[in-house]
Amino acid sequence: MTTKTSLLKVILLGDGGVGKSSIMNRYVTNKFDAHLFHTIGVEFLNKDLEVDGHQVTLQIWDTAGQERFRSLRTPFYRGSDCCLLTFSVDDNQSFLNLGNWKKEFIYYADVKEPEKFPFVVLGNKLDVTERQVSSEEAQQWCQENGDYPYYETSAKDATNVAVAFEEAVRRVLAMDERTDHLIPTDTVKLHRKPRSATTCCS
Amino acid sequence: MTKTSVCRGTLTVQLKSRRRSFRALGGDQGRGFRILGGDQGRGFRILGGDQGRGFRIWVEIRGGPSWFRVEFDCGVSGQDAEILVDYRPLEDSVDPSNMLCAGKDSSSVVQWSQCPPAGGSRNCRDGPEPEPQSSETEWDLVNAATYRRRGGSAMSRSQDRSRWAFSAAVGDLRSVTVKDEGWTFLILQLKEPSTSCSTSCSTSSTLPPLHFHQGGSREFLDSLRRFALLSESAEDEACLLVSTPNRALSQSFENLLDDNNYSLVHKFRRDPYVTTLGSFSKVTNYILEALRGAEEAQQRPPEEVADLLGDIIPGLEINQQEEPGFEVITRVDLGVRPPVSRAAPLSPEDWRRHRDAEGSMVDTQRLRHAVFKGGLCHAVRKEAWKFLLGFYPWSSTLEERKSLHRAKTDEYFRMKLQWKSVSEEQERRNSRLRDYRSLIEKDVNRTDRTNRFYEGLDNPGLVLLHDVLMTYCMYDFDLGYVQGMSDLLSPILYVMESEVDAFWCFVSFMDQMHQNFEEQMQGMKTQLIQLSTLLRLLDLSFWNYLEAQDSGYLYFCFRWLLIRFKRELSFQDVLRLWEVLWTGLPCQNFHLLVCCSILDSEKQKIMEEKYGFNEILKHINELSMKLDIEEILQKAEGIYEQIRSCKVLGLLRSRNGAASTRPAQAERPPPPARPRRSGRLHPPGPGGAAASTRPAQAERPPPP
Repeated sequence: MTTKTSLLKVILLGDGGVGKSSIMNRYVTNKFDAHLFHTIGVEFLNKDLEVDGHQVTLQIWDTAGQERFRSLRTPFYRGSDCCLLTFSVDDNQSFLNLGNWKKEFIYYADVKEPEKFPFVVLGNKLDVTERQVSSEEAQQWCQENGDYPYYETSAKDATNVAVAFEEAVRRVLAMDERTDHLIPTDTVKLHRKPRSATTCCS
Repeated sequence: MTKTSVCRGTLTVQLKSRRRSFRALGGDQGRGFRILGGDQGRGFRILGGDQGRGFRIWVEIRGGPSWFRVEFDCGVSGQDAEILVDYRPLEDSVDPSNMLCAGKDSSSVVQWSQCPPAGGSRNCRDGPEPEPQSSETEWDLVNAATYRRRGGSAMSRSQDRSRWAFSAAVGDLRSVTVKDEGWTFLILQLKEPSTSCSTSCSTSSTLPPLHFHQGGSREFLDSLRRFALLSESAEDEACLLVSTPNRALSQSFENLLDDNNYSLVHKFRRDPYVTTLGSFSKVTNYILEALRGAEEAQQRPPEEVADLLGDIIPGLEINQQEEPGFEVITRVDLGVRPPVSRAAPLSPEDWRRHRDAEGSMVDTQRLRHAVFKGGLCHAVRKEAWKFLLGFYPWSSTLEERKSLHRAKTDEYFRMKLQWKSVSEEQERRNSRLRDYRSLIEKDVNRTDRTNRFYEGLDNPGLVLLHDVLMTYCMYDFDLGYVQGMSDLLSPILYVMESEVDAFWCFVSFMDQMHQNFEEQMQGMKTQLIQLSTLLRLLDLSFWNYLEAQDSGYLYFCFRWLLIRFKRELSFQDVLRLWEVLWTGLPCQNFHLLVCCSILDSEKQKIMEEKYGFNEILKHINELSMKLDIEEILQKAEGIYEQIRSCKVLGLLRSRNGAASTRPAQAERPPPPARPRRSGRLHPPGPGGAAASTRPAQAERPPPP
């Protein structure tokens, strides 16, 4: 594992306008554009990084947040290793919707054990002065919903963005360790009648 | 009678992964084996087994939204009792950006172990037991249909697959015909109608064609030559007659180890990847599942093809002339794409020449044609767009337009006042209005902000954009505001420089685009399906490639279609494209040909680089702002001319049964898909009944 590069798929979900694309662009290109177009459709960017000696390629998927586009984005949930639930600290509604995003993700990503799935919560737009969501509220939500790590980020001034992605990677890697040790590999048995011949599988 | 030479014992496929474990979808592999245990989840599925030598299984693994084909060969190590097999996937069949599981995971193993003789009572297969010692060659080829219906149970999927599965003993083969249609496909003919044809291939003695879209037919034939003599038929050099000396038939696995296969197995142990890559053919029968049975596909009269095209592109006139004595069968054969030239934009003088004393526009047919060929000078746009969009009738006089404008101005401000006069308190109780407003405010802030009309903090353009969108919510509250609408309004407002005019032109444009934004996004679904059908007719090999990458649904064109290329082109080019499209010339849905034009330009890159699902999406997304509108329009018009002038003839068959040099029906490749609609094109009949049991394509789930 340490010598190989793993590909991890993370997906950014949250209401329209909370800054999903900006977070992704800040992290991957280290740029910020306040007037970036809102996302239409689905996009993704790759980023290589090393976390605790693990080489990782993050494939970050960014989606359109409006409800109407649900059928477009949900097919892309499948196979995600981590989900970044994003809201904006200056938009209470986007915070209230976190639960819906979580539900939508679990449903469409077909997560086997939702309670173990690594979610990370991002409260973006920390740079904005008028907050509608307090850190305490957000932290409480995270605690109550599965003890998710919570980061207050600013895509604009780069606060906590890289840290949050790295934490996401750590969570995924930690999951893997656990999975490898605890869960026996699923097995498919293909029964055939035995045969006496020495030939096999010909 | 076909003799099976299958693995007996317990085949345990364990796919261990660091990050996920896989479960089988289940399914009958035709003749190879089927899954008894394992949860019927989603994650991976086994597609088929090749009982040629050793065996090979294809497993498709879910990675993200796509399925990835992993082929692996089971070589042998150890003794009878327990055989451990290493596998690695064929790299080129796995999307490297999504190798979540297979390629990078050395802990994956395939395990094959023999059951003790008594332990195999859980025989999974009915029917005659394979004879002991039988290890004759048997090809077991399973067609993989790459369209998957969501919601279909695992069982129905596997049934779909096994419908196409067949197996036949080499000894029963009469001939193999090699055909080429941009890819190679083989048609296996049995000696006589045979019961050994194990599945749905009816009573025909021709097996479903095997398509090698990614090459490998040569290897297939070479493998076949190990067991049979193939000699060219005297009449047709593409037809190889099969004869099977006993020697070949009696080859056992031990024998196989003696000849070049030994080294294969030997090599495989050392380097499974290289060996696998180099040694086996890939059969990629992308039978256009859900489309039709072979019988349905046999014939398609020219009017059907024309009808189909006409359905997608209303206004398209197709030359439907038939050559006497022949009937058209399956394909559109496009001729050479004619050269097309574009013209200069229409000048203000040109425009004025089409206006009579009363101010009515005259000779509008020619006028629109001129706009189609060259677009408009910017100075003309403000006036001309109102006609093109239908805000002003072409025949209206200047006086009529003035009074229309007055009425529309009143109407606009009446609606504007409606949302303007909603108090904060009222809005608190109106969540829909609140949501619309919040979304509009956010999106206005991020629409074309580098354009001088919308740049800066206090640009009046921003207020106009906001107000027109809010008023549109009042005009059509059911639809309200949907992301993408600000993109459609922005160029119109930029050209009109007037709130009222922009609003009504936007209303006209939205009349065309409305379905794209509706709750079910029916407009998007329809367009994607139409585009896919069109592409399949125009460029089957490319369509097949996309299909093989799970991209046949053309998902990556979503943004193009939702907002008419607004994000793909520079602002000025958007203006040009839209005015051309608004002429309604040369046919409706010309924008779909624009899509085909762009795809045609990207096809080579996509196929050469072997892009998979993700790369295709990324590549198309990244074309944004790199496209040249004149080039695109030129090619799109060329494609239109190609379609228009093609004799929808393709492969011909003599109608009165006279000898024909054309391939007989049975030897034809799968034709382009049936039209994605049911009903009138396919009256119930021998084929129609089959068609009606399949879901209409329009019901295909959202991709991928």
